[in-house]
Amino acid sequence: MTHLPFIVSAYALGILVPVAFAVSAMVRFRSARRRLAAIDARPRR
Amino acid sequence: MQTSPVLPARGAPARSLHRFANPGRFLRISGRVLPFLSAAALVLTLAGLGAGLFLAPADWQQGDAVRIMYVHVPSAWLASFGYVALAVCSLLSLVWRHPLADLAAAEISPVGAGFTALCLATGSIWGKPMWGAWWVWDARLTSVLVLFFLYLGHVALVRAFDDPQRGYRAGAILALVGVVNLPIIKFSVDWWNTLHQPASIGLTGSPTMHFDMLWPLAVAALGYTLAFMAIVIARTRAAVLERRIHGLLMARAEAVR
Amino acid sequence: MTRKRRRLWIVLGCGLGLGSATALALTAMRDNLVFFVSPSEIAAKAPAMGRDFRLGGLVEAGSLRRSTEQGRPSSRFRVTDGTGEVSVVFTGILPDLFREGQGVVALGGMLPDGSFRASEVLAKHDETYMPPEVAEALKKSGKWNPTTGKPPAAATWNTLEPGKPVGG
Repeated sequence: MTHLPFIVSAYALGILVPVAFAVSAMVRFRSARRRLAAIDARPRR
Repeated sequence: MQTSPVLPARGAPARSLHRFANPGRFLRISGRVLPFLSAAALVLTLAGLGAGLFLAPADWQQGDAVRIMYVHVPSAWLASFGYVALAVCSLLSLVWRHPLADLAAAEISPVGAGFTALCLATGSIWGKPMWGAWWVWDARLTSVLVLFFLYLGHVALVRAFDDPQRGYRAGAILALVGVVNLPIIKFSVDWWNTLHQPASIGLTGSPTMHFDMLWPLAVAALGYTLAFMAIVIARTRAAVLERRIHGLLMARAEAVR
Repeated sequence: MTRKRRRLWIVLGCGLGLGSATALALTAMRDNLVFFVSPSEIAAKAPAMGRDFRLGGLVEAGSLRRSTEQGRPSSRFRVTDGTGEVSVVFTGILPDLFREGQGVVALGGMLPDGSFRASEVLAKHDETYMPPEVAEALKKSGKWNPTTGKPPAAATWNTLEPGKPVGG
């Protein structure tokens, strides 16, 4: 393939950006759910 | 997570758009849709990029460098589509005071900024070997850079106020003002002479791209679109929970006082 | 409902005002937003000597002369837009896509003899994408000469099977 370094870096970015967003969204949702469960479990005054 | 005892139950079933505004219902429906959406996004994106890399032919003059198109063009389309989604949410928020639209708008802009950055970066990587320059200040490239700054401005503005409602309002106005940039991006290559070539695929006329290159591009674009939607939905779900936590803590603080 | 309707009208009104203001501004700035000027525009209005600008057009078929100047590759070619033409001198490496018939944008200024001294040459490719076999078949069939003209209408080649001769 011609221009291989250019192609590889473009595809690497093209995979990395959506994956980074997806992982961060998943982590954020899980941590929010955990925090919410912890708050909700405590008896309310 | 199924029901939402935390939020006050809404009175009479609201008509029109507010039917979809109930966060509990949003969590329920989106939770069911998201796994399928994510799986489809993953499969289509990998299939499209794989086909672009290994099945699609090289270009007669660009050689294999044309394969950068299968990342660059979908991200460019999504940079614009994402902004349309942001503008729609902003309109829903400003006019109809739709509470979920506020949260969705705040979650769309960082993702839109990410895909616009991807478009600019891959364009640069494509431009260096083909045009001979990483960057030029022509009307197309400049207007996409403006789009990137609009996204960043929205990200910052929405989070700049102590009262989130004011942030949402200011962000919505900025997003709607920025809509004028979308036709400028689209038609920049037709209205002015630019280094960037005009569109190959339009609503009228046959695409000036061979079919063997067109179908991997279509598959990759569909995959990226579904990925964008899945990411925004997942982020909005997290934002709904975070708002609920915030509300709970505030209520508790009030009760203690 | 009336408050929502009023907010909607306000947003629509602002949008209309902003949109027309932008359209007017863009129309007014139309000539300043060009990325390059064409040879016929230079013929109509000679650009100031000693001021750099960008010249754009197609590399005229058969006009390219390559040489070596003090160990560096040097080239001379004519840039045309169909009506006017300007000859260009450039010392340096031309981009990969450079060829006769290709669009180029050159940065530089006019020399006293009316030619253009370029410090940078960028290749501008068009919006057609086709496999080498299809391009070869079109050239063989005599339907397209890339050094002199644009490719034929897209519908005649974008579903051609690579490797098969162009029919009819």
